[in-house]
Amino acid sequence: MKQIVELKVNGLAQEVAVQPHHTLLDVLRNEFKLFGTREGCGIGMCGACTVLVDGKPISSCLALAALAAGQEIVTIEGLAERGELHPIQQAFIDFNAFQCSYCTPGFILATKALLEEQPNPSGADVRAYLAGNLCRCGSYVKIEEAVLEAARRLQGAPAGTSDEST
Amino acid sequence: MASVGQNVPVADAQERVTGQAHYVLNLELPGLLTGRILRSPHPHARVVRVDVSRAARLPGVLAVLSRADLENQTAICPRYGRVYRDQTIVAIDRVRFVGEPVAAVAAVDDDVAAEALDLIEVEYEPLPAVFDPEEAIRPGAPLLHDPRPEATPAFAALMGVEPEASNVCNHFKLRHGDVEQGFAASDYVYEDTFRAPAVQHVTLEPHVAVAAYESDRLTIWTSTQMPHPIRAQMADLFNLPQTRVRVIVQTLGGGFGAKGSLRVEPITSLLAWKARRPVKIVLRRDEEFVTVTRHAATIHLKTGVMRDGRLMARQITAYYNTGAYADVGPVVARNGGSAMSGPYRIPHVWIDSYAIWTNVVPAGAFRGFGVPQGVWAYESQMDMIAERLGLDPVQFRRQNLLHEGDHFATGERMRDVHGEALLDHVASALQWQPSDARWLSGGVAAPAADRGPSTRRGKGLAVVLKATITPSTSTASARLNDDGSLNVITSSVEMGQGAKTVLAQLAADAADVPYERVLVSEPDTDVTPYDQQTSSSRTTYSMGSAVVLAVQDVRRQLLALAAEMLEAAVDDLVTRDGRVAVRGAPERSLAYGDVIRRALRGNLVGHGHFVTKGGLDPETGQGIGSVHWHQAAAGCEVEVDTETGRIRVDRFCTAVFAGRAVHPRLCELQTEGSTFFGLGQALFEEMIYDDGQLTNANLADYMIPSFRDAPRELEVGILEHTGEGEVHGIGESSLPPVLPAIANAVYNAVGVRITDLPVTPEKVLRGLLAQRPPQ
Repeated sequence: MKQIVELKVNGLAQEVAVQPHHTLLDVLRNEFKLFGTREGCGIGMCGACTVLVDGKPISSCLALAALAAGQEIVTIEGLAERGELHPIQQAFIDFNAFQCSYCTPGFILATKALLEEQPNPSGADVRAYLAGNLCRCGSYVKIEEAVLEAARRLQGAPAGTSDEST
Repeated sequence: MASVGQNVPVADAQERVTGQAHYVLNLELPGLLTGRILRSPHPHARVVRVDVSRAARLPGVLAVLSRADLENQTAICPRYGRVYRDQTIVAIDRVRFVGEPVAAVAAVDDDVAAEALDLIEVEYEPLPAVFDPEEAIRPGAPLLHDPRPEATPAFAALMGVEPEASNVCNHFKLRHGDVEQGFAASDYVYEDTFRAPAVQHVTLEPHVAVAAYESDRLTIWTSTQMPHPIRAQMADLFNLPQTRVRVIVQTLGGGFGAKGSLRVEPITSLLAWKARRPVKIVLRRDEEFVTVTRHAATIHLKTGVMRDGRLMARQITAYYNTGAYADVGPVVARNGGSAMSGPYRIPHVWIDSYAIWTNVVPAGAFRGFGVPQGVWAYESQMDMIAERLGLDPVQFRRQNLLHEGDHFATGERMRDVHGEALLDHVASALQWQPSDARWLSGGVAAPAADRGPSTRRGKGLAVVLKATITPSTSTASARLNDDGSLNVITSSVEMGQGAKTVLAQLAADAADVPYERVLVSEPDTDVTPYDQQTSSSRTTYSMGSAVVLAVQDVRRQLLALAAEMLEAAVDDLVTRDGRVAVRGAPERSLAYGDVIRRALRGNLVGHGHFVTKGGLDPETGQGIGSVHWHQAAAGCEVEVDTETGRIRVDRFCTAVFAGRAVHPRLCELQTEGSTFFGLGQALFEEMIYDDGQLTNANLADYMIPSFRDAPRELEVGILEHTGEGEVHGIGESSLPPVLPAIANAVYNAVGVRITDLPVTPEKVLRGLLAQRPPQ
């Protein structure tokens, strides 16, 4: 039996009809057509479907859509403002922090949550915080570089380059 | 400025960080249905009855596919397979592995499709099954395919002759020198057996396809590495000319070999054909694990050696478990087998490499294509032999490495050989000393300074050489527009490796236009010309060469037109930054676009084709194994906790020969990726079966490397030619040596030799316990 739920995604509230068993991932893709959120494993192990709910990174494949009513949901599509990339996104480009990029939205959103909790993380902090996001192409070294650089830029440091960091 | 060698911005980067990349997963069409597949619960059974009538009556179900659709009809050819036509679109008379498709439905949504699957009734009569390749070739073992299936003409020449029905799917033979004489002349002969389990590619994007059948035309959007071979095979299945099948590929969320052969395309297309509506199938993660795997392998090595360390002879018997259907298993067994004498000069080599049918998930192409299993065996054995002879394993390798002009076991004369430089790079990065070999240090490894007294450190390394598929064919077109921009039109697939970026770089330099003005297409078999495959680390070299030839074709046309306009001989013209000029008279010049407009040509279109020649005789293994050989070395330092067996890779260094690095940072990135891929296989990846049932088909029980597994330091060395030379692909080369490098390091740390992958804490701990004197 479908029920009507109001979900607030990337700042816009919208009513959608969902089945009680539909996950937030299902609804973001099928109803909101936000395809940056992707299923990797379906059981919360890989982080490809990470979204921010009230600022916290969660696996949207494990969250029931109907229970997300009243919360602020942010997907990768909500990060760039008016076509201007978020500094984390720019750092991921500048540091070649992806290959196939299927996992990239999840990594970027988890990074956003990390840098809000810890604006100056160490490499070890980055590795620990992002351990729940899997990159099968194995771009981890470059991801760590990108995250540390994004932290610097968000702190107001001038943009470094990948060459300086290696 | 030349773009090759520069770290230019990668193609489509903005889309990739904003979630806009175009995976097939995102494709929606009017009337799109969802397809789902019912799978066999038995490893081997006769299919007695399939009743889909209740599913077909369920509201919201538009099509149900079962064996009834394949029998007693001629519209659809039910059988497919790249080497043997041994697989059917859904099971007809028998199922041969747990997870084999038996029926499928297309419905208005996933919930209805799932409900419909529950309404399909299938009755099975279980048959005896066999899972191990060496058991499968014993007399009396249950036969998977009887009579022997028909081989496709394309691969017939690659296959050994196996006329009788048996579970031997292919038997590749290599005969070089006189191996018995070699053993007789050796001071010592050592025999060891090594095993590698089945592992799965775990592309984060699963297999996914959308198919639509309209006006007698089949259009398939699919996540595949081989658009043109998919078109050809689908045309065969539907009895259509290739013009009536269109395969469109956007970008892939990882491939690693998984997305080569027909996978979900036949079922998706047949459902769309029956429903007369487009259908999408997305595999769930558990279905991925029963779709294709890497071959499990058992490898027996017998190596003859002189007291001073000279390798004399090697006999290899390799069994690749190709599962229930051949896929490209016969080619994997040949590729893995033919390179199993390693990057070494061995005068006498005898190789029997088998692909064997058994009742497990079909194995196919997987990053490394049969080579990682072989390298696991021979580079582990190199260290074991060094210990038996009391030699430094680095010096032992160095003294046997192939050099320029040496003959390989295939009989071909080697050129562009860099094993020694790669080994030296890694040994030097590791600060390798002979005393790092446990047997040269008095048998006691150093404790790890900051990890407590129970931890031991050890170093290990390995070297590899690997073929790229030979012969091979790539074709490309280039289109110079009247604003001087350049379209490159190819069927190479972007799967994260950077194909679009490096092809644009090569085209930009060949055309003398800025990199930013080049656009590389995505494959669409209606318009993009033939390419064999995006695999085997071949795109930068093979397609790159075709692209350069296509651009040179355009350039010839451009210069011929400009010569008339500038009243100069073609030989006196030069091109630079999008202009044609008379040599020594820069004021006499024209922009490319001006030449095209004045000539009323609209655009200039050029074509290039690049074909490599070679191949091996299936009865002797002699010939040309590879147009050039991909080479790498890897080394590491590990810490092993002697109380828990836990292994931590502390430092890792890898060196790969790239010929010329087109995009150095992408080279580094992909090589780091290969290292992580290898770390997983070395330390924990393994598909675990219980009586044919896969027990860990999910990412909780089957782990892949995460940030937690990252070495503290990971150093990548990219070796290039000093002068002119060919580009070498680097997508796979540095993966295979990771496996034995880690096992060799673990041995040097704690004296436990693991010969069956993965090197788990449990195995290490068992080894440590066995070392302790009885109480």
